[in-house]
Amino acid sequence: MKQLILIGLLLCVLACQPHYQISAHSESIPVVQAGMPDNHIDSLIKPYQIELSQEMDEVIAYALQDFTKGRPNGSLNNWSASAVRTHQTKQFETKEPVMVLLNVGGLRNPINKGDVTVGDIYKLMPFDNDVVWVKLPSGTLAKIQAYLAESGGEPIAGATMNNGKLELDEGQLSESFWVITSDYLMNGGDRMDFFQDRIEFRYADILLRDLFIEVAKEQETLVYSDEERIKDK
Amino acid sequence: MDRRSFIKSTALITGGTMVGPSAFISKSQSNKRLTILHTNDTHSNIDPFPANHAKYPGKGGVAKRFDLIQKIRVEEEHVLLVDAGDIFQGTPYFNKFGGVLEMKLMTELGYEAATMGNHDFDGGMDGFKKAQAYAKFPFLCSNYDFQNTLLDGLTQDHMVIDKAGIKVGLFGLGVKLKGLVPDNKFLETKYLDPIEIATDQVKQLQKKNCDLIICLSHLGYSYKDDKRMSDLLLAANTSGIHMIIGGHTHTFLDKPSEVSNKEGNTVLVNQVGWAGVNLGRVDFEFDKQCFSKKESLLVQ
Repeated sequence: MKQLILIGLLLCVLACQPHYQISAHSESIPVVQAGMPDNHIDSLIKPYQIELSQEMDEVIAYALQDFTKGRPNGSLNNWSASAVRTHQTKQFETKEPVMVLLNVGGLRNPINKGDVTVGDIYKLMPFDNDVVWVKLPSGTLAKIQAYLAESGGEPIAGATMNNGKLELDEGQLSESFWVITSDYLMNGGDRMDFFQDRIEFRYADILLRDLFIEVAKEQETLVYSDEERIKDK
Repeated sequence: MDRRSFIKSTALITGGTMVGPSAFISKSQSNKRLTILHTNDTHSNIDPFPANHAKYPGKGGVAKRFDLIQKIRVEEEHVLLVDAGDIFQGTPYFNKFGGVLEMKLMTELGYEAATMGNHDFDGGMDGFKKAQAYAKFPFLCSNYDFQNTLLDGLTQDHMVIDKAGIKVGLFGLGVKLKGLVPDNKFLETKYLDPIEIATDQVKQLQKKNCDLIICLSHLGYSYKDDKRMSDLLLAANTSGIHMIIGGHTHTFLDKPSEVSNKEGNTVLVNQVGWAGVNLGRVDFEFDKQCFSKKESLLVQ
């Protein structure tokens, strides 16, 4: 035993600062069925899946062609921005001009040709974003214009951009105008800092996704537009 | 050799002097081996993508991931499964159930640590807190100061896990929230400088005699703006980290990038896209060296 301890101590002295030589081998494995016998995960998911599919599989509209997002324009940009404008201006009246500004990044999935289900709209707009009305001083329009030029285009309605100039469809006679957008963008999302200029804002009391669902149901066949709202940015 | 008998023999040989288990390894003992499995940006993708999906038909899915992990666990004795954030948001499972199912499933799959991504704030901090109650693994967030928020005390800076007699130190880093997450979802959470915090975390983990130091990061792989903090920048501007398991930019890497750190040692930086389409795997082998210079990492 004593000898062992002695050898041990000797080893310790000789061992200097021991450490590991680490070597690594890496790979990225595609997740496919590996064929293990027990997979109780499916049964754990099942009840949630059933509850969800009852709601998500409901067909609410039809798309005659694919709706895709893009920069500066896209059919999905136009559909989503126009949906917000049509839906909201029916509910609220204002003296000032109204435009819609959403973000390309927020449209998470195309709407594919064929039946459109509630689930498709969830994929398009998975975020629980609220629709908000933001009142901005007319001077801020130039900041939005600069933002659109910089980003390369975002979904808009009630305004067009020609030769680098953003103009409201209803003209700009008043000192202020309204932008209908999402609370995400109003609160600084995607660095839309111009919303900090706001004079006031109002929640429309509807989620953007629920608005899309309502509009899709109303349209039955989704209204397609490939209009170039942003031209020669 | 399991850890208990390992410590016993160490104590015997060293006569009780506290040199720690890493001080002795017999020549006859084969190298130690640890398999690290990782995911990032799974974004509530519980089910596989549909068969007609344009990009990833039939790919991913938690049940299949479990199946694959179980197969690896049969083949490998020591496996560590971790995630680099953005567990939430992306399918109606999140909208309807608030992330509860994601946490339950990750627990069931045997995740041992995760960090928070920006989308994990999407349900607000109260939403995260509710879902997190179903997670039996810690969230590592070292550069978010949650003081005066609901999440204060619910996450930890780092952890040390013993695997195969190897001390693995893990810490987590998150992305700057301002402009990415609405202010009202992160409230008074303070974002702290990743490089400063990483330097400090590594120091603490080294003091705890960690043999392997891993950073779970949701900073993003790299950006066009080369001043924007990223995993590649972090790797180059720190020392002591062996591997950064990243997320946020949904970057698909076949193999980890090898970055030279401040001391010229190699750091592995990996990321496996998103949605659970791929599973990252790194097998580390640990070979005891007494007379060579400071630590190094060989990449095969």
